[in-house]
Parts: sequence; structure tokens; C-alpha cells
Amino acid sequence: MALIEVDNVVKIYNPGLADELTAVHAASLSIEAGEVAVLTGPSGSGKTSLLSLIGCMARPTSGRILVDGKDVVKLPERFLTNIRRQAFGFIFQQFHLIRELTVLENVLLPLFPLALGTRTMNERALSILERLKIDNKKHLQVKKLSGGEQQRVAIARALINKPRIIIADEPTAHLDRKLAQEFIDTLDQLNHEGKTIIIATHDPFVHDNPLVTRSIVMRDGQIERIDTK
Amino acid sequence: MTKHLKIIDYAVSSLLRRKFKNGAIMAAYIGTVAALASVLFLTRSLQTETTALLQGVPDLIVQRTLGGRHELIPVDYKAGMAGILGIGTITPRYWGYYYDALTKANYTLIGSGGETAPLTMLEGRLPQTPDECAVGAGVAALRHSGRSGQLILVDSRNTGVLFEVSGLFTSESDLLTNDLVVLTDRSLIDFFGYPPGLATDFAVSVPNSSEVQTVAAKIKKLFPDTRPITKRELVRTYDMVFNWRSGMMLTVFSAAVIALCIMAWDKATGISAEEKQEIGILKAIGWDTSDILALKFWEGLIISLTSFLTGVIVAYMHVFFFNASLLAAVLKGWSVLFPAFHLTPSFNSFHLLIMAFLTIIPYIASTVIPTWKTAITDPDSVMRG
Repeated sequence: MALIEVDNVVKIYNPGLADELTAVHAASLSIEAGEVAVLTGPSGSGKTSLLSLIGCMARPTSGRILVDGKDVVKLPERFLTNIRRQAFGFIFQQFHLIRELTVLENVLLPLFPLALGTRTMNERALSILERLKIDNKKHLQVKKLSGGEQQRVAIARALINKPRIIIADEPTAHLDRKLAQEFIDTLDQLNHEGKTIIIATHDPFVHDNPLVTRSIVMRDGQIERIDTK
Repeated sequence: MTKHLKIIDYAVSSLLRRKFKNGAIMAAYIGTVAALASVLFLTRSLQTETTALLQGVPDLIVQRTLGGRHELIPVDYKAGMAGILGIGTITPRYWGYYYDALTKANYTLIGSGGETAPLTMLEGRLPQTPDECAVGAGVAALRHSGRSGQLILVDSRNTGVLFEVSGLFTSESDLLTNDLVVLTDRSLIDFFGYPPGLATDFAVSVPNSSEVQTVAAKIKKLFPDTRPITKRELVRTYDMVFNWRSGMMLTVFSAAVIALCIMAWDKATGISAEEKQEIGILKAIGWDTSDILALKFWEGLIISLTSFLTGVIVAYMHVFFFNASLLAAVLKGWSVLFPAFHLTPSFNSFHLLIMAFLTIIPYIASTVIPTWKTAITDPDSVMRG
């Protein structure tokens, strides 16, 4: 059984309004556990929308999405939050960190609603920060960090809940080649630890990387082809 | 519990991140609550002072009126009233008002013969000779004439009269004695130049309180040019005056409450793009809608409760430590405007609870409801703006 199955999914924004937009049209795909899948295509092709749907950040207008064999489309919000919290770690294009908070506070944020003890939370966060070599800046406000450092904080926050699936949207858009390589190396490590990784990108450095096992090419909201390596 | 402590922790840090915006909201909130609470404290305190004052008021005060105005009453009337059944004692009283140009203050001068219970609370003693007087703390402070000092007042013939201060009032109710100067009856009659055989009014005691109205009616029938005033009527009049004044002030300040509500609503409904994005981030990283509502609830509660309590403390200090300097002129009235006096702290918890309810609940609601509208949407839409 595939870890993620997308079955004939359609996503229409503002249905019935003048600015109605079909972002994803009849998309179907499956991703196995442990894969590194890349959604690629030109801007506006629907990569980010499909990524949001897979990550339970949005609901499709029609179709089914199965995570671990469970149809998540019709789940109540509370259950969807649980899936988002337990299964997925998100790395956004703009990082979406809270700039005035410190590195440590940002990384701890996903744990706040979990009623864990402060010590447990801090231990977990510090070990991830150490691993990503940003623990020396744990008390600095995020806005004082460089782009590469901010991305490492975003990765740390994505990993804090020990998710099985990492979702990254245009993760190298704001990085130079060296930092992009560091990011790819981090993903490689995570993949070797068993994490499934799904990336939306139009950066050839990412989608042509040997790390990638499945390439899903999109155009005008539709899946044009899927290449398996 | 741990979860809520973490959320409260985040709520505090979130408020601190927007400290200028939240500081402005809190300042407006505190100002409004302080103004409202000041009116409530002052009104309540004045009513308590008045109640204390009225404990020593006679059951009946009989004044003579002429053309609807208070006139001196012939002491001969006493003999005619003495025959009315139900009357205990009838005591002619001598008193009047004195404007002290030196301190620009109004004093109440009374003769020692007609006073009752409250004046027993005295340091020193009541005047016994025509050149002695006892004064309230306010008069003593204004004229720098403490016990064993001297007080010069100008009489009706425009002549300065020197009095030795034989006693100082330390009444529990400053309102009662603060502006008071007590002379002997003889001395007061001479001072004001009252014609012989006339008193300011009569203090009448009626041992059976249920007969007060009947006795008043009999006096009025026997002496149609008099006006008997019962203690109950006095209490009611004072209450009405203070309630009217406080009502007027509250009406004025209710405009401030409305302004606060509009501001709160505007603040809440106008969730900024930054706040919307933050909600989207929190949802994306695993916060539930209920967690976000709890966060906003705590933010609203922290702001409104802190502001409310601070406003109440500011009002308490304003009224009881600084003598309600911003409101006293309206609420106390001219006759007790000078000299200033210290109010005895007294407040009605029920009024405070109502005020808390009317300010805290709307603020929290206006914070949580619009957040709920944002929080129930998909994080994807929230983050796309």
C-alpha cells in the first residue's frame, strides 16, 4: 500500500465567483514510503496547490487523498490537525517563521499544544538544533539570521514532531548554490533515516538531483507525466 | 493544564511582540475603566459618608420658611410644640455658613448647644467660653490653627474676632466635621448678629420612629409657616443628589465605553495580514482551531483583565489618595467643595462586577470571534492571504 495516494483530485479556488481558478485538475499519483518525490513544472502549474492538498493544508474540491490508506478528505478538522501534526513536517518557501521569536521558540511552537513538559520539549528541540548546527544561535531572534540559517530553523521546526513525511515548497528559492547543496545533504540524511520527502520546485538543481526517486511534472494544473528513477 | 500554561506563555510573548499596539489599547482601556470606577467609588464613598453623617441627625428638623426660603425660627414656637404628643425633646439650634476670604473656603459654624452624638468625637473639648471654638481637621489645616492655636474670623459687623481653639474634631466621617467651626450658642448668635429670640432651626427627637410622620404633620398644622424635615427625607434627598450626579457622570463616561468597544471591535475585526499569517503558520504546524481560539482568549483576557484591574487601582488611588481631584467638583457640590477632605474607602463589589462584565466580556468576544473566522479556514488559504 502506498504511503500517499492521490485519486482524481480537483482543486478549484473561489468556485462560482468571477475569479474562479482551477489550480489542480484530475490529478492522480501515489508515493511510497521512503521516496523523495518532486513536483515540478513552471510557475502557476499547480505544484504548491497539490503539495498543500497532500499535506492536508487544504481540502480538494473533489477526489480522494489517502494517507496511510486513510481517506483524509472528509475527516473533521480536529482529525486533520492530528494528521498534519503527526505525519507531516512543512518547510515553506518563505520559511514562515515568526520573526520576532527566538530560534528555540520557533522550533518549540509545534509542541505547545501537546502538553509536554518543558524539559522534554527543550531536550527535543536542542537535539535537532545541534544536529542542524544552529544550536549556538538558539536565543537569537530569527529576524537576525541569514537566509540559510532561517531555513535550518524551518527544517528544525518541521522535524520537531518526528514526522514521517517532509513537505517542502520551493525550498531553494532563496538560497545560493552552496546553501542549496547543504539543504539537499540534509534531506539526504533525513531520507536515509526513513523519512518520505515531497518537494515542489522548479529549480533544476533539486529536481535533477540523484536523490530524487520520483518526478511529477505538472502543467496548467494537470499532471503531465510521472518519471520514476 | 500544561497545554494551557504553554499557550498562555505564548499569548504573553505574542502580546509583547505587538507591545505598541497593545500598549495603546491598554492605555485607552485603563483610562475608561479608571474614569468609570472613580465615579462609582466616589459616589459610594460620599453616600457612606452621608449615611454616617445622618446617624447623628435629629429625627425631625423644624425650619421656618418665608416666601419659600429658610428663615430664623422664633424660640417661642418651642413652647407650642412641646404639647404635641410623641415629641421627646426640642432643641433650638444656631448655625450658619461663613465664607473665609483668606482661604477661599466655606465653613459651617454651629452653636455647641444644639449638637448631638457625632460631635462627641473630639480631641480636646467643646468650647465653653465665648472666646473658644472647636474646629474640623480641614479648617485647622487651612488656617494652620491646630489645638491650642488661634482662629480669627470676621463677624457680621466686619470685625475680626479671635477664638482660642479648644478642640479638634477627629470624626470617623470627615464629611461631617471637616469644614466645621463650633462656637458656644451665645458666641455664634453674636457673631452672626442673629436677633434675640430667634434660632436657626429646631432639632426634635421622636422616641417612636413610627410616629415621626404624624408628629411632622401636627407641627405643620400648628405652625403653618414651618417646614418639618424628617431624617428619612434627608437621606433620600442626599441619595438622589449623589445618584443624579453620578448618573450624569456615568452618562458622560459611557461615551468612553462605547469608544472603547468600537476600538476593540475595529482592532479585532481588522486582523492584520501578519496575524492572519501567524494563524496559518500555527495551523500548518499542528495547532488545532481550539488551540488558536484558546490563544486569542488568553490574549484578550490578559489585556482586558490587566487593564480592568489597573483601571480600578488607578481609580482607587485617584479617589482615596488624591481626593478624586478630577471629579470632586462635580460630585461633591459647592457646599463641601472647600476645604478638601479625605474620603473613607468604600465600594460596592456588585457594581465592580457589573463593570468587569461589561468591559471584559465584550473585549474578549471581539478578539475571539473574528479569529475564529480565520482559524476555521484551511491554513493554505490563510497563508496565501
